[in-house]
Amino acid sequence: MTQTVQPPIMGHTLRRVVFFLLVLLTTLVAMGLMVSVFQTDGLSPMELILLLLYAILFSWICISFWTACMGFLVILTGRDRWAISRQPGPAPDPTAPPPRTAILMPIYNEDSERVFAGLRAIHQSLADTGQLADFDFFVLSDTRDPDVWVEEELRWQDMVRALDGKGRIFYRNRPENTSRKSGNLEDFCTRWGGHYRYMIVLDADSIMKGETLVEMVRIMERQPRVALLQTPPTPINRESLFARILQFAGSLYGRMFTAGLNYWQLGESNYWGHNAIIRIQPFLDHCGLPKLPGREPFGGDILSHDFVEAALLRRAGWEVWLAYDLEGSYEEIPPTLIDYAKRDRRWCQGNLQHLRLALSHGFNALSRLHFSMGVMSYAASPLWLLFLIATGVAAYFQTQHEPVYFFGENWAPVWPVSFAVEMTTVLLVTLTMLFLPKGLALLLLLKDDRLRRAYGGMLKATLSVALETLFSVLTAPVLMLFQTKFVLAILMRRAVGWPPQQRGDHMTSFREAAQTHGVQTLIGVVAGVLSYQYVPAFFWWFIPVLLGLVLAIPVSMLSSSIALGRQARELGLFLTPEETEQPVVLRYLEENLEEDEPVLPILREKPASRFVQALTDPYVNALHLSLLPEREPPGKRRRHYLEGLVHQLEEEGPDSLSAAQKRDLISDPDLLLRLHALFWSRPPANAGMLP
Amino acid sequence: MDRGKVSVAEPYLPPAQPAPSSEFALARLGAYWQALGVTDPDQIAALSEQALRRAAESPESPPGLDSVARALVAAGELLDDWLARALELPRPSRELAAARAALLSGAAPDWPAALFAAPGQADTVLDTLRAARAEPTPPPSSGAMPAQRIELFGLLGPLRRLWRPEPRA
Repeated sequence: MTQTVQPPIMGHTLRRVVFFLLVLLTTLVAMGLMVSVFQTDGLSPMELILLLLYAILFSWICISFWTACMGFLVILTGRDRWAISRQPGPAPDPTAPPPRTAILMPIYNEDSERVFAGLRAIHQSLADTGQLADFDFFVLSDTRDPDVWVEEELRWQDMVRALDGKGRIFYRNRPENTSRKSGNLEDFCTRWGGHYRYMIVLDADSIMKGETLVEMVRIMERQPRVALLQTPPTPINRESLFARILQFAGSLYGRMFTAGLNYWQLGESNYWGHNAIIRIQPFLDHCGLPKLPGREPFGGDILSHDFVEAALLRRAGWEVWLAYDLEGSYEEIPPTLIDYAKRDRRWCQGNLQHLRLALSHGFNALSRLHFSMGVMSYAASPLWLLFLIATGVAAYFQTQHEPVYFFGENWAPVWPVSFAVEMTTVLLVTLTMLFLPKGLALLLLLKDDRLRRAYGGMLKATLSVALETLFSVLTAPVLMLFQTKFVLAILMRRAVGWPPQQRGDHMTSFREAAQTHGVQTLIGVVAGVLSYQYVPAFFWWFIPVLLGLVLAIPVSMLSSSIALGRQARELGLFLTPEETEQPVVLRYLEENLEEDEPVLPILREKPASRFVQALTDPYVNALHLSLLPEREPPGKRRRHYLEGLVHQLEEEGPDSLSAAQKRDLISDPDLLLRLHALFWSRPPANAGMLP
Repeated sequence: MDRGKVSVAEPYLPPAQPAPSSEFALARLGAYWQALGVTDPDQIAALSEQALRRAAESPESPPGLDSVARALVAAGELLDDWLARALELPRPSRELAAARAALLSGAAPDWPAALFAAPGQADTVLDTLRAARAEPTPPPSSGAMPAQRIELFGLLGPLRRLWRPEPRA
């Protein structure tokens, strides 16, 4: 199902020409200034390195800056004839049955209570639109933890009962989580995809308004050339100061950036992995991911599959759009700086893999740019670090250089040429490009009374932007060191050793902060002392970076504070429209979490182990058994292994088994029944409800 | 695991009795039937007798279990027999397992009476069970997702393409 190639649309081409010309010209001007500083007595190798690094980093900033500017103009004028949501299309056939859409939530060892509360909220919101019958829900579990697995099954069954969702709300747990999330979705597509025209892919913490889901389907129906429509997820629901600052930034600046991205990406946009609708047939035809040759980190499974899937769809002639003006798409973000870095660690490897794909044969130019931008979002950190080090070293060598005032037979002194003006201009241009978009986003609030009030009014919003800028200056060096460490670790094929990510709000303890940021603080102190000692002039310029590193521990701890986050909210700081006026779907989520009154009585109990409950409780045992996939009887070797586990459980109890071993025990239907009988025939004293 | 902390003297599950008394077996079966939702002592007694008889008929199945555990397995099989017959379900099957889960979920609390009722007198309970039976997934649909070819960049790639040009579509 390959699309015929359409001739380029003049308006699209013009936008891209304008955008890339602006990026190119700005980069050239900045480079010109730098070269004029360096080229007084020829370029030294160090200056050449600095110039090269600056060229890469500045063009990266330029893309971001001009994206923001275009977004600013689009929102300011309110005119965007190419926005996918506003493009007309053929009227749908009123006699044709409405298309079926599957809402997919792939999960992996997540907090089941939150997952199902979120899914229920989406279900409730969709029911409010009256279009519920056109959608089915799938919980696609790749969970390996046996306790979470059993909990998921109970929560699913409870949701089906509570919402009368039999035949509409589905659940399956994959026996093997081959190829992780992309494999999980592939499994859905090949087994049940044929029943549906579209799938809407969510993340475990995604929330989407029913109206938005319906509108996404409408757009896809109007635009038969579109294979994928991404909505911009707005960060919501966190209470820690760190998360609230990020939510504010994501909300205020995000809408401008996404409008800007759409300005130049148009039908060659990208896929961000969730909160997107996908036409299933082209996805089946073109998005089967191969394994990359070679070892990890650059070989093996494709980790950041979303970018690649979008590129493959584009390669086959399908359009991929960002519906930047569709509201009602939400996600939750990590609550602390440390959790944020942990998430970066997961994403970093996948994005670095794109280095190979950016140069692969057959992808179109914008897909290559998406891959390169993915790489740069992490590679920029080590490059900035290199740039800072190289600048420091160059400054040091300059201090060692004695100025010579008299040359040859000149009787008058030749004063060294000062390039302070050029250097200051370069610095100011760079800073402007970094910070001006924040000001532009603020300006946009002047245009919209409702939105201005939603952000707490102009004064509070301005103060919030100022504080957010200060916070981002303080955390940027910390993130730079984190990301540099991740990039280096991945390149050296070394595990960084992160514990699993915690999604809910929680405070960072001093111990955790000291363990995580201790080395960063030390680096800050050492770099400060060295630069003060040997390059004092450089030291003062370097202060924002040093301060961020030296204060990493207190900043990380304080920003994780929920109390400070709430206090800031009471003061009207970092407010987002979703906080000021809670959308109905988020209220549903909150109610579902607060009024956790399950239909199934078994869920009201909070046993120490759902795994043990699956062995002891007749209902949990029967439900789990009914959800196990049919499989071949185990071979002789496997039987011996399982027998060993049964004996271990009998003698040493469930705590002696690893999560994988417990999973093996409850994955075998015969063994499940046998263990159930065993527990009831010889009840252990501490197995819970057994009489 | 720190095996040093494991007490060998006190295993997690009490050891199986070499020859468990029939009182013990009936007590365990009684407790089990009650956990399943059967409260009438006469019904419990009748069902326990049947389970014991059934277990005695096949003393080696399932292997590795003592007589009490086998009787408990037989108790579950009795339920499955009834469900398979009444709901016309193949056995073993996922549908039957789902029917047992529906039975034990509390959706039809008066199922024990239906178990002892004459054919045709338990229709309400059976309808409730049919409605409560979980459907975890829809029926399969055909769909293939062939792995796409991604030709990674290599210095020799352009040369190879020159040497072996791709056939025109």
